[in-house]
Amino acid sequence: MNGAPSGETVLAGLPSLPGLYRQAVALVVRRTIGRAPVASALPSARHRVHGVRIDLAELTRFEQELGSAARDKLPSAYLHTVAFPVAMSVLARPDFPLPLLGMVHLSNEVHQDRQVAASEVLDIVAYSEDLRPHAAGTQVDVVTEVDVAGRRVWTGRSVYLARGVRLDASGPRTSDAERPPFTAPRPTALWTLDAGTGRRYAAVSGDWNPIHLSGPTARVLGMRTAIAHGMYLAARMVDQAVAAPTGALDWRIDFAAPVPLPAVVAASFTRTRYDGGERVDVVGWSAERRKPHFTGWVRAE
Amino acid sequence: MADQAGSQNAARTPRTAVVIGGNRIPFARSGGAYAYSSNKDMLIAALDGLVARFGLQGERIGEVAAGAVLKHSRDFNLTREAVLGSALSPETPAYDLQQACATGLETVVGLSNKIRLGQIESGIAGGVDSASDAPIVVSEGLRRVLLDLSRARTPQQKIKALGRLRPKDLSPNAPTTGEPRTGLSMGEHQALTTAAWNISREAQDELAYRSHQNLAAAYERGFFADLMTPYRGLTRDANLRADTSPEKLATLKPVFGTSLDTPATMTAGNSTPLTDGAALVLLGSEEYATANNLPMLATIVDAEAAAVDFVHGDEGLLMGGVHAVPRLLQRNGLTFDDFDFFEIHEAFAGTVLSALAAWEDEDYCKRVLGLDGALGSIDPSKLNVNGSSLAAGHPFAATGGRIVATLAKTLSEKGGRGLISICAAGGQGVVAILEARN
Repeated sequence: MNGAPSGETVLAGLPSLPGLYRQAVALVVRRTIGRAPVASALPSARHRVHGVRIDLAELTRFEQELGSAARDKLPSAYLHTVAFPVAMSVLARPDFPLPLLGMVHLSNEVHQDRQVAASEVLDIVAYSEDLRPHAAGTQVDVVTEVDVAGRRVWTGRSVYLARGVRLDASGPRTSDAERPPFTAPRPTALWTLDAGTGRRYAAVSGDWNPIHLSGPTARVLGMRTAIAHGMYLAARMVDQAVAAPTGALDWRIDFAAPVPLPAVVAASFTRTRYDGGERVDVVGWSAERRKPHFTGWVRAE
Repeated sequence: MADQAGSQNAARTPRTAVVIGGNRIPFARSGGAYAYSSNKDMLIAALDGLVARFGLQGERIGEVAAGAVLKHSRDFNLTREAVLGSALSPETPAYDLQQACATGLETVVGLSNKIRLGQIESGIAGGVDSASDAPIVVSEGLRRVLLDLSRARTPQQKIKALGRLRPKDLSPNAPTTGEPRTGLSMGEHQALTTAAWNISREAQDELAYRSHQNLAAAYERGFFADLMTPYRGLTRDANLRADTSPEKLATLKPVFGTSLDTPATMTAGNSTPLTDGAALVLLGSEEYATANNLPMLATIVDAEAAAVDFVHGDEGLLMGGVHAVPRLLQRNGLTFDDFDFFEIHEAFAGTVLSALAAWEDEDYCKRVLGLDGALGSIDPSKLNVNGSSLAAGHPFAATGGRIVATLAKTLSEKGGRGLISICAAGGQGVVAILEARN
């Protein structure tokens, strides 16, 4: 790592996700035995990787696992996947105040100015901001930006929650507003997710977080069973909402109850056309238990 | 005789294409009489009967077009192989077509257009499907290993490819009726539409009952005597229940839409069962029929295809025909009042009743179909008068041939004009107009 202006760290290449997870486990151990201090503020560091190129074979495997057409343009959610190791390297820093392992993905919002071709060379930067209390712990935003030839093409903001972590007991807390009871809309899709969904998505996305892989590995981290990757749901949502985007694409997903694997997820897609574009609102819920898994929208111009 | 009854200088202006006759084998329930017959076997059986009925032995037909929805990859030339296995001249060209449940009707549209353009004088159109002998494919994991293995050159590459094989890769995949883009089965999609149009259980059972009554009555008066060839011990459609009643149908448990907030109304009785069978029609120019002393049952007037967006909830999966019909009527300057018979494919009773309700709904017709008002009502006494898919069964690609032959013969007996509407997977629908000859 080289120091760079304005707290920026330029990485030599995309970090290895398994390496970051190992680093995170080591940090948990060191903190547990009290040898590592826990920071109370976010590091101002920005991690940057220049010259990222897309591996077409990996892209194809990702697209086919999600059931989308294998195009030479990058699915919007795939840019998140490509940039994910950079974002993770920020969360895995020893001076990052929240524990990487076991953090819950609350939401994701993406603004994409144009479609990106698989042949384009990407500059990726990631940083964290807005550490704040949440009724159930502490939440933080992780921002990822993708540039091509010096121009911003894709910005993603992921919100994570560290459950039960209180950095400042006196700070204000956002309270869980009383949620209205969930009424399932008419489904327009039914996604059957088998027990291997998490392992297969891990293989195509590189996100080998143990909570997605199997019952035993998920239980080690306090889950009752393996759960689907939030980004798997997001990628399917975006692809099904707008099959062939040509220009700007914005989308957001808010995660509710995790999807235990295996599962049948019912989803409702509702499209509204407006001058110059369309917006598709999406709700996903448990077909069996009538509990919402996520809500989201996709806007294409 | 050969496919040159018309003038040697093919006419360049559109001519008239007619239905000369049809032939199908009785439809069997999946796993029944045709459990071990392949698509090719059944298509040849239907073709043999047609050849025998119209004396086509050794004849070079202009073109044969047929298809199957559930088709094995080895059947890449299914129709041509069936022609080679038949008594037709081996010089008869053939092609396969697939448009889900609209396959059979689309082959009729395609070949009748070739006849109208003067490209061919005669044609045989239709389709076949087997739900029993469905292709089963190896898992995606095994398929990729086998493909990489076939490309491997060195022993090391072969071992590497084989090393990726996992026990779960050995379990095969059977085809499903799920829509690829939504994951919902066709029945679950229809359940949403049925609920949206508030179609009652009683109305669906009543339609299913009438389908059985009409089909049974048609058999009783010998209507199918020259439209069918017995096969593998079957002389009637195995699904036909002449003794069923609305009371019996009312006892069946709902199978689709059981997780909706509205009452589930779709049962095995008012939904088509998985079926095996084949159906074909013989088409020709007027010149061909006259020169060969063949009957002309009906004229194929015009056809239209439509597709709807069911992925974003804009429209029901099986509502394609609802959109195609007004476009076809408008082009031909016709209204429902100009028709004497309606053949609306009974994928589910709810499909037919949703279409009827939609065409009667002024707001829907204005807002969704872009019409000035409601398209109109269809008199139940003109609808599927010789039974339809709920009673006969629905071997997907064979249904179009069954319906075209049934309507053409009805028109030759009773006169008048008939409308066909067939819905298909993928939100599609194909519709056509047939007219009596006099």
